[in-house]
Amino acid sequence: MTSGAALEVSGVSRAFGGVFAVRDANLSVAPGELRAVIGPNGAGKSTLFGLIGGQLAPDAGSVRLDDVRIDRLPPHRRARLGVGVVFQAARIFPGMTTLENVMAGAHATTHAGFLAAAFRLPSHRREEREIRDRAAECLRRTGIEDWAHRPAEELPLGQQRALQLARALCGRPRLLLLDEPASGLRTAERERLATLVEDLRGDGLTILLVEHDVAFVMRLADRVTVLDLGRVIADGTAAEIRADSRVVGAYLGTAA
Amino acid sequence: MNRWLLVAAVVVTLALPPLLPERHLGTFVLLGLAATVTAGVSMLMGYAGQVSLGQASFYAIGGYAAGLLTVHGVPTLAGLLAAPVVAAVAAVLLGAPLLRLRGHHLAFATLAMQLILLSLLGRGDWAGGAIGLQGIPTLPVGGDLGYAYLSWAVLAVVLVISRNIVASRAGRGLRAAATSEIAAAAGGVAIGRYRLTVFALSAAFAGLAGGVYAFYLGYLSPGSFPVLLSIEFVVMAVVGGLGTIAGPVVGATVIVLLVQALNTLGTQPGMPGYAPSVLSYAVYALLLVVTVLYLPRGIVPAVTDRLVKERRP
Repeated sequence: MTSGAALEVSGVSRAFGGVFAVRDANLSVAPGELRAVIGPNGAGKSTLFGLIGGQLAPDAGSVRLDDVRIDRLPPHRRARLGVGVVFQAARIFPGMTTLENVMAGAHATTHAGFLAAAFRLPSHRREEREIRDRAAECLRRTGIEDWAHRPAEELPLGQQRALQLARALCGRPRLLLLDEPASGLRTAERERLATLVEDLRGDGLTILLVEHDVAFVMRLADRVTVLDLGRVIADGTAAEIRADSRVVGAYLGTAA
Repeated sequence: MNRWLLVAAVVVTLALPPLLPERHLGTFVLLGLAATVTAGVSMLMGYAGQVSLGQASFYAIGGYAAGLLTVHGVPTLAGLLAAPVVAAVAAVLLGAPLLRLRGHHLAFATLAMQLILLSLLGRGDWAGGAIGLQGIPTLPVGGDLGYAYLSWAVLAVVLVISRNIVASRAGRGLRAAATSEIAAAAGGVAIGRYRLTVFALSAAFAGLAGGVYAFYLGYLSPGSFPVLLSIEFVVMAVVGGLGTIAGPVVGATVIVLLVQALNTLGTQPGMPGYAPSVLSYAVYALLLVVTVLYLPRGIVPAVTDRLVKERRP
């Protein structure tokens, strides 16, 4: 049974202390699609994000990446299968340079272990060069190459967000998960981010964008899924969503 | 500049043993071994965010592995090479359950591990019991001077391995996991396996030092590996500076020299019989408090920070 979807979320539920954060959610994202998930605060967006990224396990339902079931796998295994994650919080690695932070992101698709490193085996040197090149490319792409050798904790918020994105890209993901990437950014930074996200979609990357800022996603997303109280209440193109009375009632109406 | 400092350190280290009086040569050997164990502790604490208060266990396991094997006829070189391997295997077996714990819980669990090991060694006739394991052959290195070079060569190997790992894919994974487990896991780092691997690696360092120790002294007893020794390794790592390569050497040197000086002071005529032990306990406590208060990151980071600032006024 293959669906042809890059990401298939079926009947997924997750409760915390008896209260459903996500309830019987279904979501199907086609390869190369940029899908936005929107919803008011407490709609279950971040829970859904965690269920796909692996920070949370579902109580029921399944998550499939290219028809491979991933919902019982720990996050590092999902990363190796091609799930790249950008958190809303600045989860950077302090004490490491920006370049090292991004190089750490290559973990998912590289292999050299402790022994190879301890004795500097040729396989390790070769891979290390490749990781460095790849990380430099990701830094360039996200516009933070000037910060490469600065400690990551010295970066301003916007650059830390870009750093997380560069780190995720360095793992060569097939599916990129972005959790409210525009929150807290200034207008110019937001524009740059939008351009970059469009660029990545242009490369054929499948992107799931969880976002509170409706205006930001409406112009970017191919399709939009709307969550409210943990349930999917609508799913369609940006135009369809704007015209949907349930969405307007649950979210857009109160936000306007 | 750093390179010249390194060259100077190597030259001094190579030149020192023949110049040292016989009675201080032993201190030099033990210092090299202590720094080797501390390098493992420093990697565990500084780069992987784990605390072990039982690191002397692996020092003991390495020592007893080398001692028991060679007493039963295995060649000394094979015994020495087996020491880190046995210690690492023990760490993997013990670490699998222990490393589910974090922070203080892990620290206490490693402390308990050492108490259990000491009790087992003390009761085990196969290991010589409380009297100890005697008649361990010596390595053909040409006496104390040879051991002085051997112990510091072992230290050099361990430091190079540490440096290579820290600046590698595995090292980045470790440092990432120590600061944000969630982000590290999302980047593909298998955190549980990494924690176990670095625990085993630090045990291998301790085990290798323990092997040299066994051949050097030719005799082992549970009393050679008190809990205080484990604490000493932690103090050395913290004083020298966690997360630095030179930290373990500097920390071990400072502590060993200080303890030596206080021992001399404590055994002066007119001092009470308990003076040496009270003074050495007091010095660990005092040094730890002073370091945490005034040099919270340890000696080596404090000095390098100052040097960097001078260059960039």
